[in-house]
Amino acid sequence: MSFDEVFDVIVIGGGHAGCEAAAAAARLGSQTALVTMNLDLIGQMSCNPAIGGIAKGHLVREIDALGGLMGRVADRTGIQFRLLNRSRGRAVQSPRAQADRSLYRQDMRKTLEAIPNLQLRQGTVLDLVVRQRRIAGIELQDGRKFGTRAVVIATGTFLNGVVHTGLETYKAGRTGEPSSIELSDALKRLGFPVGRLKTGTPPRLDGRTIEWSAFQPQPPDEVPVPFSFSTDQISQPQLNCYVGYTTPIVHEAIRQNLHRSPLYSGKIHGVGPRYCPSIEDKVVKFANKDRHQLFLEPEGHDTNEVYLNGFSTSLPAELQRELVRLVPGMEEARIIRPGYAIEYDFVDPRELGPDLQTQRVSGLFHAGQINGTTGYEEAACQGLIAGINAALSVQGRQKFRLRRDESYIGVLIDDLINQGVDEPYRVFTSRAENRLALRYDNADERLEPYGRRLGLVGDCDWERFNQRRDRIVRLGRILERTRLKRSDAAYAAVSARLATDLGDSVTLAQLGKRSGVGVDIIRSILPAEKPAGITDSEIESALADSLYAGYIETHRLNSQRLHQHDGLKIRPEFSFRGVSGLSHEMVERLERAQPQTFGEVRRIPGLTSAALSTLLVHLAVQRQAA
Amino acid sequence: MFEISCHGSPVILRQVVDLTLAFGARLAGPGEFTLRALSNGKLNLAQAEAIRDLINSQTEAAAQQALRQLLGELSKRLQGPQQKLIQAIVQLESALEFVEDDLPQLRKQELAGELADIASELDRLASTFEVGHLLRDGLKVTLAGRPNVGKSSLFNTLLASERAIVTEVPGTTRDTLTERTSLGGVPIVLTDTAGVRDSNDRIESMGVERTRQAMAEADLLVVVIDGSEELHSEDLTVLSEARSARHIVALNKCDVPSFDLMEKSRSNFEAKTVNVSAVTSVGLETLRAAILEPFGTVDSSNAGFLITDARHYDLLLRTAAEIRSSLDLLQGGASEELVIIGLHNGLRFLGQITGETTTEEILSEIFATFCIGK
Repeated sequence: MSFDEVFDVIVIGGGHAGCEAAAAAARLGSQTALVTMNLDLIGQMSCNPAIGGIAKGHLVREIDALGGLMGRVADRTGIQFRLLNRSRGRAVQSPRAQADRSLYRQDMRKTLEAIPNLQLRQGTVLDLVVRQRRIAGIELQDGRKFGTRAVVIATGTFLNGVVHTGLETYKAGRTGEPSSIELSDALKRLGFPVGRLKTGTPPRLDGRTIEWSAFQPQPPDEVPVPFSFSTDQISQPQLNCYVGYTTPIVHEAIRQNLHRSPLYSGKIHGVGPRYCPSIEDKVVKFANKDRHQLFLEPEGHDTNEVYLNGFSTSLPAELQRELVRLVPGMEEARIIRPGYAIEYDFVDPRELGPDLQTQRVSGLFHAGQINGTTGYEEAACQGLIAGINAALSVQGRQKFRLRRDESYIGVLIDDLINQGVDEPYRVFTSRAENRLALRYDNADERLEPYGRRLGLVGDCDWERFNQRRDRIVRLGRILERTRLKRSDAAYAAVSARLATDLGDSVTLAQLGKRSGVGVDIIRSILPAEKPAGITDSEIESALADSLYAGYIETHRLNSQRLHQHDGLKIRPEFSFRGVSGLSHEMVERLERAQPQTFGEVRRIPGLTSAALSTLLVHLAVQRQAA
Repeated sequence: MFEISCHGSPVILRQVVDLTLAFGARLAGPGEFTLRALSNGKLNLAQAEAIRDLINSQTEAAAQQALRQLLGELSKRLQGPQQKLIQAIVQLESALEFVEDDLPQLRKQELAGELADIASELDRLASTFEVGHLLRDGLKVTLAGRPNVGKSSLFNTLLASERAIVTEVPGTTRDTLTERTSLGGVPIVLTDTAGVRDSNDRIESMGVERTRQAMAEADLLVVVIDGSEELHSEDLTVLSEARSARHIVALNKCDVPSFDLMEKSRSNFEAKTVNVSAVTSVGLETLRAAILEPFGTVDSSNAGFLITDARHYDLLLRTAAEIRSSLDLLQGGASEELVIIGLHNGLRFLGQITGETTTEEILSEIFATFCIGK
């Protein structure tokens, strides 16, 4: 087969996963093509115009620390920044921002176009060229054929997408855009197990027809916390969002019309995300709740479009209009785009290794919703890891993987490839065993050295990283060393403010652990030798390091005990078939993985805990006998 | 699978087994059936441990307890506290994770009350171990006293056999002797010791050393005193050594006419005192009752559910301690991500008895409890 063009890496899809994948592969020096159906919709936010939030904001910070794009683009185009969980500890705080949908798209495209090894190509991919279980190229609808050594599929909801509005259904990847049916068939032909998921969006309203005074404004933070460690200042003018509520009248009207919902008439078979329920689901499952929260989110500076978050629905378009108008303050509202539900194909992520490469076809990587996840941030971080590994594989370099105790990205990928999904997967802080160590503000400390080693972190950012880290470390030492004594001038004021006696002397680190002691108190008593130019945020980071250190150490010791058997050796001649009580399927998985220690056994995807304990007993008995 | 029933003759049994082995069958390893049942999810860990206890149990009361555990009673008893713990975690996790959702305000005082309740419930259950472990491991009862007060005779009478050699030469018992028996369904590990006295005999001195060790390890000391003689200084030595331990006093030889002499000395004894005769068995029932008395009503099969396994006891205590540390943090105004650590640890400890609760199960509980999501 002769190819029209040949690349090292091809990324299919220009959404949040595709953009990161293409940028990472190209910046690692691979000749990369990003192929997408419509180049004008690169970086499109298909759902709400917001990035970040609890755990998701952590992901964006991690992407940024590794040298990814999402944080920087969001900082340049964000129109409302808020740091969530401000009243709680640093480990569970997380940045979030509304973005200007159209600016985000334009900025992302411009950013990609500025990357030297990256080519953008418009086209619909119909098939994959696979030779001897290795990827060799792709075939496009327009007849072109591209050769390549690695492909990242990041097709989002386009894979065999079907949109539902009421009882109307049509094939689409997003409303108004064609879906990708042939590619899904190609994956099935290759033997990939394909399942079906569902998600949905709410209607978008004309802001001029909303009675804004009926809603409560939700202002942005006075001092915005950006996503990227490299961002000094947010320059977009900041806007309010608005909060309102549905009423029992709205609920009753929805109940009356459930038979017109594809969700309840049995037309939709895909499983939707529980944490992003449609308004129909909310009304049915929580029938005793007399109101549901709505967020009115502006789509951008130069548009009237308003995103009615909280009102995701697949009811008929004409009914959506009636329902929206029952909400106080929306009596005159007009819908610009109706909400809809979309069903799409995903491939069982247990097909993947930790580098997001499929075990079935070498050189083929999956990232984003194709792996059963939901969310821009979840998609972007997979795109980044897949793009990095696609380039590394082409260059014959060692795979890059992150552990779950060092990153949310590691947690997410580990969960996906080991547990699989039965509903769209979203990241939560509670999924991370090591939650206290995985803070948004130390993502650079955790991951930026990896980004630097890979070659994704430039000199300027690296320099900034080292200076920032140096200030925090030095401050940490000062906090441990400096004591506030009863004889100090500041003592009485601090003691009075906390309404408690602090003893004869207390280190600033100890003081920082008391509830009610914030960065303002600490700053006011820092000695003169404090690092020059240290910011409040850096002081908070140093305080958080000291607050959590003990808990993190205890956790480390506990998990060490938990994994005390990881060192148990499995001799090459050990026969898994000889272990009674292991099912045929478990034996097959073990034989395929060829583990050398029990620790490796634990990480084999799909092993049940019963199989693990059976095997552990046998290995332990064997060692005793030896 | 098939089952063969045959006559009880060991020879025939052996032949049947050999024959099946010749046809390719394999003998089950120790605990293999239990392990299989565990692997296949037919039993949980607590039940599997109960099978081990059932096999090892020495008395009917212990077997009763093991059987109750096997029927899942421990897991059932823990279900309440575990569910409450999960609910507390659900509240805290939701508050952390879904700040933008319209969730009910976290009521810290109520939550604190809940946590205190769970901890005391677990403590209550754990406290049954004091009696429960006796059922499994047996109550260690040690007879101590100066030489020739009749310890060995009493030992034999209690065992109702002639296990110890009895002579009238003081110091006949030169080593400790241990036998298992049972009193009212409670397994007893009864130890006879060498008499305590200063001796130049090296072997006897070694015996005395062992006596001291046996005294230290005992759950209960029975200080045996010859009631027919005046109190010796050696009696007082033994009594003072026993003072720090749980002990009772057996005034032996109540059948001897000079016995009454002792009555005036009773004030020397701080512990419960029983008159007994190893020779005529007079007072033996009273002595038996006195031995069991400090441990409450242990016996009957109607007794309340007891924790019999040290591992369970340890896990329950650790769970309660973790919950209390969370409670302290909550009341000290700590942020939720710190409060919740102890609760997760506690749930993990409970899970080592009842089976693990996964993150997915907690998330499911959150979504079932609260309407989450935009």
